[in-house]
Amino acid sequence: METSAAAATAEEEERGLAASLTARYSDWVAEELDELGGSFLLTDPAMPGHPIVYASRGLPALTGYPRRAVLGRNARLFQGAATDRAAVAGLREAVRAQRAHHVAILNYRRDGSPHWVLLHVAPVFHAADGTVLHFLAVQVPIAAAPRRAACRGPALFAACREEARVEEELPCAATHAGEVFVDIDKRGLETTRWLEAEEPRVASDCDKEKALSTASSIFSALNRYSKLTGLVVCGKRCDSVGIPALSSSLNLSLGRIKQSFVLTDRHLPDMPIVYASDAFLSLTGYSREEILGCNCRFLSGPDTSVDVLEEISRHICCEQACTVRLLNYRKDGSTFRDLLQVSPIRNASGKVAFHVWVHLDESAKCDFNGLTPEIWQLGAVGAVRVAVRSLSASGSLLRPAQ
Amino acid sequence: MVSATRLDGDYPFHGKNTPLDQFEGVKIHLYRLGTEERELDALKSSACADQGSPSLLDTIILSQWENNSREGQLAYDVTACKLKVIEGERDFVIQMNDKWNSFSLNEYGKFSHPFGCSKLSSTKICGELLLCIEEGEKNEPEVVPLTTPPNDGVMLIANAYPVEYGHIFLVPNPTNRLSPFWDKKMFGLITKIAAEVNSAAFRVFFDGTSIVPNHTDFQACYFANPLPVESASTVPCNYPEYQNVTDMKTRSGVCVYETVDYPLKALVFSSNNANALVNVVSEACLTLRENNTAHSLMISNSGSNVFLFPQVKNLATGCYLSAWECCGYFVYHAKVDFDRASEAEISSRMASFSPEDGAFEDLKNLCCAIADDLDTCACAE
Repeated sequence: METSAAAATAEEEERGLAASLTARYSDWVAEELDELGGSFLLTDPAMPGHPIVYASRGLPALTGYPRRAVLGRNARLFQGAATDRAAVAGLREAVRAQRAHHVAILNYRRDGSPHWVLLHVAPVFHAADGTVLHFLAVQVPIAAAPRRAACRGPALFAACREEARVEEELPCAATHAGEVFVDIDKRGLETTRWLEAEEPRVASDCDKEKALSTASSIFSALNRYSKLTGLVVCGKRCDSVGIPALSSSLNLSLGRIKQSFVLTDRHLPDMPIVYASDAFLSLTGYSREEILGCNCRFLSGPDTSVDVLEEISRHICCEQACTVRLLNYRKDGSTFRDLLQVSPIRNASGKVAFHVWVHLDESAKCDFNGLTPEIWQLGAVGAVRVAVRSLSASGSLLRPAQ
Repeated sequence: MVSATRLDGDYPFHGKNTPLDQFEGVKIHLYRLGTEERELDALKSSACADQGSPSLLDTIILSQWENNSREGQLAYDVTACKLKVIEGERDFVIQMNDKWNSFSLNEYGKFSHPFGCSKLSSTKICGELLLCIEEGEKNEPEVVPLTTPPNDGVMLIANAYPVEYGHIFLVPNPTNRLSPFWDKKMFGLITKIAAEVNSAAFRVFFDGTSIVPNHTDFQACYFANPLPVESASTVPCNYPEYQNVTDMKTRSGVCVYETVDYPLKALVFSSNNANALVNVVSEACLTLRENNTAHSLMISNSGSNVFLFPQVKNLATGCYLSAWECCGYFVYHAKVDFDRASEAEISSRMASFSPEDGAFEDLKNLCCAIADDLDTCACAE
């Protein structure tokens, strides 16, 4: 009796997990995902314990876990004793903030052997109401760093490591060593010790590209099959319902400005984009409908400097202008070096109405009529100021109440 | 399309109140106007929709001004000054600005020495030099970065006490001038600059209200909406030989209009032939000067319209209206005045500077005569 009850619960659980997918996408989505290469998971944050609801075909090869063994468990099962706590904290924060994140992290296979992976985590949003449906997590194995190329092939690997441990000072080894011995989880104890001696690995561009392209394929599959059940899934959240329209005369004036820029409104929740120039759409590959109402963060990606983003935030809060350089992402996932000018813009009431973000792809071979990029951008800022300060743009603010 | 070398972001001048002798040996960015005749269309409305993308000169002026503002060279952020439209028929525009000082204009005394001369009066320029513009020799405009200012150019200097965004002084180099007052050549250059900027928001103002020639009398700024005077009704005063639209383009007549029901009597000169317009307006202003009649000008619609405001001195205050005040735009220093400003009050204030009917009629007839007279010569210029 007990076994059958246990079996029944297990079955129920399995159905629940399967339903997580099929409720949002058609039944064929699993088959489609099965076709994709690489090791990845889908997790459902709405279910208790934030469990894995789908594991890819490539997962067992990388992690040693059969697919069914990981379903229903939380993704932390891949972490272990020597996994960097800071990396885990970063992941947790990204999940909480519902944004994409990537990190090179030490994972453990089922047999306890540790291995380095580039973990790319991204939220899957319901386009209509902005709720997070799932998280996807892609695992790309990271090869050993090139300078250890002297070690050829896996046979010599252990030997090199031993040498390295003796010769190099690695502060992290000391801290983790302690943990290893007191931690209950003694998986891979032996191998962990020699792995500690190694520096944390860094993902190569190739690894990152692989992660991104896998993520992109997953999104495409989800999109394709979600339409069948009436949902649209997208990689970022949008809410264009709440934006008040700009006056038509302001739209017209802004339309004459040729530089790549957007206007955001800090007074609306999540500071959405309320205007985007055609040049901006060309630069980033998005359509106007996709981005109006969204916060600019969709331009950021794993390699975008968090410090620079914070600097921009600080200046926005203080209503000050700033000029920064950062790496931004187009819709197709490719990156570009962005020379970005952000400035508060006042309307005729004298108060800050918008912020203008003037973008410039530094690597684009563009002749701005012989002007420097900075002058080209400042010209846009000036033109926006004149347009926004107009009385018709500021609307009925200025007329005394009738 | 512009044969240009890249501008750097270097601004070799620093600090306010730079004495003029520090302009010696100075290097600035130079914009040379192209010689190709720009077709003006006087009949085009000044709605933004009719215009194409911003011109190169427009972008440069705005960027230089914005950069100047970023560097903290201005006394205050004029975009933080609140605007209000006064209830009524005229749509007068008023601004609340307790930092703007009309006396700041008086600091710019006369300077009759050319730039580069070390022995100068102690006049001060309150603002940074942004750009120099001169007539070029090539078809297309060109931009020359960091060069010595030419002898016959116009210097664009940011007004550290701006009335609107982009407020600049247009200061000609006085070396080659025949008379201490502005002349036709200079006025022509300034009108060309307006045409080159080609922005409905860019207007040039002139105050011919002091007996002493003042080289900072030409100013310009950006304001996206029509000024009250531009929305006022007008009636034509002259009837150049060919009235209809298509012939206007070939005959290049200058039309003279008078404002109707506007508190300050004004004339409007309109033409799509820049030379004809410059000739007529210069001649009219010369006559006014000879008669010691104070007047203000406003050039709008990318240089195809010129408003002329003859004024009589206010005997109580001994002053005149500034050019933008003539256009219906007023700056208030005190909140209490700003809050209770009314159309009636502003209208009567403006009317007090308006010449008598008789005097205005004479002026109108004179201007029409000039316009008709120069009509035949216009094409020859």
